[in-house]
Amino acid sequence: MERVLLKNIENPESADINEYKKAGGYKGLPKALGMQPREIIDEVKKAGLRGRGGAGFPVAMKWTFASADPKFPKYLLCNADEGEPGTFKDRPILEKNPHILIEGMAISGYALGAEYGYVYLRGEYPGAKDVLNRAIAQAYEQGFLGDNIGGKGVRFHLAVHQGAGAYICGEETALIESLEGDKGQPRIKPPFPVNVGVFSKPTVVNNVETLSNLPYLIEIGGEAYSKIGSPDCPGPKIYCVSGHVERPGVYELPMGTSLKDIIYDHCGGMKAGRKLKAVIPGGISTPVLPPDKIDCPMDFVNMPKHGSMLGSGAVIVMDESVCLVKVCFRALKFFEHESCGKCTPCREGTGWLRKILGRIEHGEGVDGDIELLLSVAGNILGKTFCPLGDGAASVVQNFIKHFRPEFEEHIRAGKCMVNG
Amino acid sequence: MITVTINGKEIKLEKAVTVLEAARSAGIKIPTLCWHEQLEKYGGCRLCLVEVEKMPRLQTACTLMVADGMIIRTETDTIAEVRRGVLEFLLINHPLDCPYCDKAGECELQDLVEKYGLTKGRFREQKRKVPEALEDPVLVRNMERCIVCTRCVRMCEGVQGASAISVINRGGHSHIEPFSGGRFDCEYCGNCVSVCPVGAIMSRLHRHSYRPWQLGSETKTVCPYCGVGCTVVVQVRDDIIKRVVPKLGTVVNNGLLCSRGRFGYEFVGNKERLTTPLIRKNGLLEPSTWEEAIRLIASRLSEIKDKHGSNAIAGIASPRCTNEDNYVFQKFMRVAVGTNNIDSTARTGFAGAQGFIENIFGQGATGNIISGLANSDAVFVIGGDPTTINPILGLQIRACSRRGGNILTVGHMKGLRYYTPLELRPSVNTEIALLEGIVSALMKKKGPPGSHPVLEARLKDLNAQEADLPRICGIQGKDFSRFIDTLAEAATPSFVIGKDMIQSKGGSYGLFLVSAINYIVNGRIYLLSERANEQGLLDMGCAPDLFPGYRPITYPEFRKRYENAWKTGLPDKPGLTIFEMMEAAKAGALKCIYVMGENPVFNLPHTKDVEAGLKNLSFLVVQDIFLTETAKMADVVLPALSWAEKDGTFTNMERRIQLVKKAVHREGMEDWKILSEISSNMGVRMNYSDAEEIFGEICRVSPLHRDLNYEEIEKGDAIYPYKGEPLRGSTDEIHIEKSAGREERGKLYLRVERPLFHSGTLSRKAPALVNICPEAVARISPATAAALSLKDGDIVRASSKTGALELPVAVDEAIDDSAVMLSNNFQGKGAFSLMEYEIDPVTKAPCLDSNQIILEKVNR
Ligand SMILES: Cc1cc2nc3c(=O)[nH]c(=O)nc-3n(C[C@H](O)[C@H](O)[C@H](O)COP(=O)(O)O)c2cc1C
Ligand code: SF4
Ligand code: SF4
Ligand code: SF4
Ligand code: SF4
Ligand code: FES
Repeated sequence: MERVLLKNIENPESADINEYKKAGGYKGLPKALGMQPREIIDEVKKAGLRGRGGAGFPVAMKWTFASADPKFPKYLLCNADEGEPGTFKDRPILEKNPHILIEGMAISGYALGAEYGYVYLRGEYPGAKDVLNRAIAQAYEQGFLGDNIGGKGVRFHLAVHQGAGAYICGEETALIESLEGDKGQPRIKPPFPVNVGVFSKPTVVNNVETLSNLPYLIEIGGEAYSKIGSPDCPGPKIYCVSGHVERPGVYELPMGTSLKDIIYDHCGGMKAGRKLKAVIPGGISTPVLPPDKIDCPMDFVNMPKHGSMLGSGAVIVMDESVCLVKVCFRALKFFEHESCGKCTPCREGTGWLRKILGRIEHGEGVDGDIELLLSVAGNILGKTFCPLGDGAASVVQNFIKHFRPEFEEHIRAGKCMVNG
Repeated sequence: MITVTINGKEIKLEKAVTVLEAARSAGIKIPTLCWHEQLEKYGGCRLCLVEVEKMPRLQTACTLMVADGMIIRTETDTIAEVRRGVLEFLLINHPLDCPYCDKAGECELQDLVEKYGLTKGRFREQKRKVPEALEDPVLVRNMERCIVCTRCVRMCEGVQGASAISVINRGGHSHIEPFSGGRFDCEYCGNCVSVCPVGAIMSRLHRHSYRPWQLGSETKTVCPYCGVGCTVVVQVRDDIIKRVVPKLGTVVNNGLLCSRGRFGYEFVGNKERLTTPLIRKNGLLEPSTWEEAIRLIASRLSEIKDKHGSNAIAGIASPRCTNEDNYVFQKFMRVAVGTNNIDSTARTGFAGAQGFIENIFGQGATGNIISGLANSDAVFVIGGDPTTINPILGLQIRACSRRGGNILTVGHMKGLRYYTPLELRPSVNTEIALLEGIVSALMKKKGPPGSHPVLEARLKDLNAQEADLPRICGIQGKDFSRFIDTLAEAATPSFVIGKDMIQSKGGSYGLFLVSAINYIVNGRIYLLSERANEQGLLDMGCAPDLFPGYRPITYPEFRKRYENAWKTGLPDKPGLTIFEMMEAAKAGALKCIYVMGENPVFNLPHTKDVEAGLKNLSFLVVQDIFLTETAKMADVVLPALSWAEKDGTFTNMERRIQLVKKAVHREGMEDWKILSEISSNMGVRMNYSDAEEIFGEICRVSPLHRDLNYEEIEKGDAIYPYKGEPLRGSTDEIHIEKSAGREERGKLYLRVERPLFHSGTLSRKAPALVNICPEAVARISPATAAALSLKDGDIVRASSKTGALELPVAVDEAIDDSAVMLSNNFQGKGAFSLMEYEIDPVTKAPCLDSNQIILEKVNR
């Protein structure tokens, strides 16, 4: 398949508007402006586009809600917080192909009736900030943003807002709080952002990759788009692969490419021919899979049937040299650090899990610690305010589910079977 | 109609509410920690999780709105298990402080743990350690105990509107901290203390001095400080007030208090309280007996009466005493002494302003319901910062802004500065011109409503027009237009008037102009009141020209009624106002003043003059709870019972009559009792057995209180005129005095600061309030500071025509460049000592705004 989202990125000047145009960019926007907003949403619906931020929510549905709300003005927020460990799929778009995002946002804004957009950018992407700001300035210059886009009187203004490094600010309502200048913590839903979002106005939050699909989708039409990749969940998808493979990196492939193919074909297989031990398929929050469970199509519909989730499409590949207790411990350290503190189970439970894992990892585990881990994780799962806490609990549950002997060995021997 | 089923019980609901509210309405209790009825929903603690059919996850009852047909279970084994889990999480880092934590016994966490019976601890690691924060005078923070429910933060931000504290850090490191660091440096309302479910933020005043279950009694009464009249609950152990707390659901303050109401109670138990009568002998006040004192007073009063006539005697009533005390006081003066020389410090503003406005709009025009402010779509504030003068009323203005209403201020109101006020800040002594400009602009925009010809006739000759304002007041055209547009568009505007407006030159004209604005936009008026029973004392007839219930003494027909009721002849000439008393005393015409619960030496402007007047008297009686500046000059001093030690009623600025109840026992007599003893000694028998009996008489003689009794008052809605007795209508004449203050640029003028933490001379006997705000400071603007090369803390000599004080300065951006703000609270450092005044001929209030002041740095 020809690349759509990461088209032209080998070109060192790919972030420049003229290069983007030379490569066929800014074709979708004029076409969209010739359509009624409603027609655009219909195309997106026909295309079956789902959000790429992790939850796979149908884009057209979210847009319909927001455009049906009479309150004004409306806002379009691009979630570029990309904080899920292992995830670096949005970064190449932001740094190498920013105009596809800007074009996508202008189309989306028009479809929604939103005149203002913000890119909420991960604090640790200072490079992307400069690239984006330059690209936005160019788009204003050439009339793709502003008060009179394409000479059609359409308004869409875009600005970049940089986060300050909290993972929770990737959660859409925490993102909104943070954008408003408050502490990043998720809000009660309902009301949903589509009705009461930023500055209490109807707001759509979509991921960078999601929005970047729009120019192409409009250009070829929803019908044609829906033929790409998985029939249940179509479109191009960026997978970012890290860990012990020969060629880690970013791969734009049809949605539904099998995990096994990603590792063994596209990434050239395991590094130095070592044995695969575990794969986290969609970012740290998604359930880890053992080697015998990786023959699964990587999309939002099929991954749950195979015991995991697509998440952000961040594939973390681990070979035998890895101690999974340590990985689990490290993951919980992350969750503890990033827990926003709003709800009790996550605020207190993630730290507790980390402490228990820490003592197991450091050879100080005691009998019953595994049961304690499962019990504490069980007291978190399903009781938290937002999915972050659930993620933490399920990491523990899934690591123990698939790799329990390794935990037991740590406790029994007081040391690691992998690293001695 | 929405029907839901909770625990098998079908519940019908008029409108969508949360599952929690639905359950409560049916008497089903769901445990909560972060939820609080006064606060916005949060959903953080997860204790209220319930099962809802067809929903995959457990749901928080406090956030989920009911939908028709919902089937909910709140008490299943799974849920009990979940709650145990949540509680376990809360406890892993919670210290086991219960044995010495002051919250134990009323701690929501403790109660829940007890209910859900946690098994043994499974947490083997170190608990979080945070030292107790004791930097603060009245609050103590113990962040080990904090369960991060954010109730305090939501209270401080969303209700109190102080935004002084926040959750600092993230996740397990979350804790509550004041933005100013260690000390709160906030409004010290303590409302965060009220809502903290555990012992993480507590009052320091009663630290480690009792356990909640050791309380001897709890008495619901009324705050002794300001005219808002908040309901307080006084908690007592061994006849010592341990704590004063608000109560949820009360009409005036619904669970909220201000710093004075909550932390100002310690004056009651202060060691400096007067304990026995004092009689001046050989120039010194010597302890004596009640018998001797009462006999002496009775005979001296009779003597003076015989020799110089009844009008050589005058009485000053007290806005801190009950209606019953004040009623008996005026009756004593009128019947036993035989004079109408009765007045009070209400004359410094409230009395005249109320009379003036009622004269235009009818009686009761200033007595509006305080909570109504929150529902106004615009609030116009002039003459003082309501958030410090009447703090709980101030909260309603903040709430108005939060609900989308507009705040319009003339002058800068510091406590409203975060509420995006439209602010017009006229240059010194040009408010009148500004008000004229507002009236004429509104008349142009809206036209005369046509319903009050007398008032409209008075609007014909306004001097200043909109176009003059930039020149006269230094106000920009566009600010002015926005102000006018907003005011003109308001459908339910309110007007809040403070004393500074009344106490300025041409005050009655200013009041007239504000009344006119109110009339044009059809608003309602609130008159700020600094003392708890300022309204009540006027209602009781403690005025030189009015009987109880505002019957003018000059009308023979009314006089007759009171003569019949009191079975005696009554003087028919109006008496002296408090200022006239001082004049008459100086001139020698007045021989005796009887002061009940007031400190004129300190609370009236021009201290030296007042002192000279009082010195000139042949007999001065002071009845008080402390040896005040005035008491020190007296011939006889009588110790009275304080607010907490007696029964009676206060009437707040809404005209709501509320019960004051005895909370602690103390030897001594109520003010009314002392007066009746003296009266009886003078041959006029007064045989009241208790306050309730006096109130019975009040209700018989005052048309406003007709048919009222303590039982009805207890219900909380006793706003007079009780049962709708028609009030006096408006007049066909409006007297005004137009003299406007002269503006002299480049000069400094002294202004009275009315601070949040003090109130008259009572609060300086409350150590907590003194600790928060320990000394008098002269507040000046940064520009003034720069011009005089002063910085924060520098000592200055502040001198005026009437005297000089040395005190530190504080540089404050909220102060006008032409003003020096000084409070009138601290001994020997009161603003009034530096002020002279002229009396407004209409309101009879003093004009204080022309006092120039000079600051000089004192080098030490
Ligand atoms: C803890 C947490 C972190 C998240 N982080 C991100 C993120 O970094 N980027 C992102 O696009 N979505 C993130 N999400 C998902 C967003 O809440 C939201 O679903 C998404 O931005 C919607 O966009 P989409 O529909 O285009 O996927 C996160 C969700 C949670 C619960
Ligand atoms: S689960 Fe709770 S504490 Fe954790 S990030 Fe979400 S809201 Fe915050
Ligand atoms: S005392 Fe009042 S102002 Fe101070 S932090 Fe508590 S709620 Fe806020
Ligand atoms: S201090 Fe009290 S009210 Fe504030 S968050 Fe902690 S426990 Fe809750
Ligand atoms: S607002 Fe007034 S009545 Fe209420 S607590 Fe404060 S001082 Fe007392
Ligand atoms: S009370 Fe409902 S979550 Fe705290």
